[in-house]
Amino acid sequence: MIQPMVSVAIVDYGLANLRSILNALSCFDVTVRLAESGGDLAQADKIVLPGVGAFDKAMEGLRGRGHEAALNEAVQGRGVPFLGICLGLQVLFERSEEGQGRGLGWLAGTVRRFSAAEVKVPHIGWEATEMKPGARLFAGLQNPSDFYFVHSYYAPNEGEAAAAASGVCRYGSGFVAALERDNIFAVQFHPEKSQLAGLRLIQNFLTL
Amino acid sequence: MSRHRLIATLLVYKGDVVQTRRFKRTNMVGSAFAAVEFFNAWAVDEIMVLEISDDDRFRDHFLEIVEELSRRCFVPLTVGGKIADLERVRAYTRAGADKVVINSGALRVPGLLEEVAAGYGSQALVVSIDARPDAAMPSGYRVMIGNGREETEFDAIDWARRVVARGAGELMVNSTEHDGNKRGYDLELTRRVAAAVDVPVIAMGGVGDWQHMVDGIVEAGADAVAAGNIFHYTEHSTKKAKEYLIAKGLDVRIPTFYKISLPRRPRYRTQSVGR
Repeated sequence: MIQPMVSVAIVDYGLANLRSILNALSCFDVTVRLAESGGDLAQADKIVLPGVGAFDKAMEGLRGRGHEAALNEAVQGRGVPFLGICLGLQVLFERSEEGQGRGLGWLAGTVRRFSAAEVKVPHIGWEATEMKPGARLFAGLQNPSDFYFVHSYYAPNEGEAAAAASGVCRYGSGFVAALERDNIFAVQFHPEKSQLAGLRLIQNFLTL
Repeated sequence: MSRHRLIATLLVYKGDVVQTRRFKRTNMVGSAFAAVEFFNAWAVDEIMVLEISDDDRFRDHFLEIVEELSRRCFVPLTVGGKIADLERVRAYTRAGADKVVINSGALRVPGLLEEVAAGYGSQALVVSIDARPDAAMPSGYRVMIGNGREETEFDAIDWARRVVARGAGELMVNSTEHDGNKRGYDLELTRRVAAAVDVPVIAMGGVGDWQHMVDGIVEAGADAVAAGNIFHYTEHSTKKAKEYLIAKGLDVRIPTFYKISLPRRPRYRTQSVGR
């Protein structure tokens, strides 16, 4: 059961098209708010960080709107459940080959670019994700399940990323498709575009 | 290699979903909303919505339809029709499109594909090529634009290479002779385009039974198969199509049913929606 009137904040940093994730969250019995600045995160029961676009621009947007400090306070400090999607997974790391600047740095490691010599870049389409037993985000889902991906960068399955990995995908040399650590959850695929499996995953997050 | 995709195509004419045969409208099959709800429930991997009215008077109406569809579409949504500038791409994207499809505009508007690819990325740009058999062309196929009515000077294979060089991330291939004829895709055309480019190719036009989709993938080398008409008339059609592709051993997404405790209709209690 989703608790009545759970308030979900979607972090808006001025770049991403938020319509799809907004549509998906709005299917459930929750209140969805777009957080246009860090102050809007203070009241949220759950936080979703969607993302398309480039690493540095996203981080600039997050800092410029006071989201970085607010996310650190809410997610790291108060333990508010957090779901990062696509670029929203990548910015959790310290750095990315896509940019020069620093990410949120909640996980140690660097996000890499797929090698065009090895695989098609961007990686686009439905791909099987293999889940770790007991992964809370994947509760009730068949293992493996297909999800929809669109990305050129990825978190390698090594170090802290591997330790937190709850789902991996065999594309290129393999990458972290989903991770969870305490109240921090993130997926490289788009659950809002992954049909019933994606909706089920969102429901899992909302019922945590 | 990502999985082969099954794409359901909706043609919208003056606000209604219609069928076509050789690019001429035949039946009206109802509301786009009912169709997408239906597709969503089963096994489709992507939904494509194309505006095919004769003029642009239905622009706003179509945008409303796309916006409404996107609320219930939980697979990638591709939108096309009458794209001649970036403004229209923005409008479709804002209404919920994940990708756009450009056909005539690729030829009529120099620089359009380059601009869209630069602004949205090649992965969001599908170029649709309509072709007609023509012995005078080197490949045997001539590119047609304007809903298949207007001849161009371009050979289909040459054109396919050009639009990929200009930024197309995906091509959709349809033969004006096969559209709506239920005899299957133009395999020769599809095969030649798929062999000429290294981006994914979507076969379109002419599906009359599920084997035609298998032929499109196996015989012609298409990455994805699209159909419209056939889905409207077969019960549980997309599920049956998917089951057929799976039974033939093709690498496709296997749809799984999950019970989701959704309200019957999406509820909108969203606050401060600024876009």
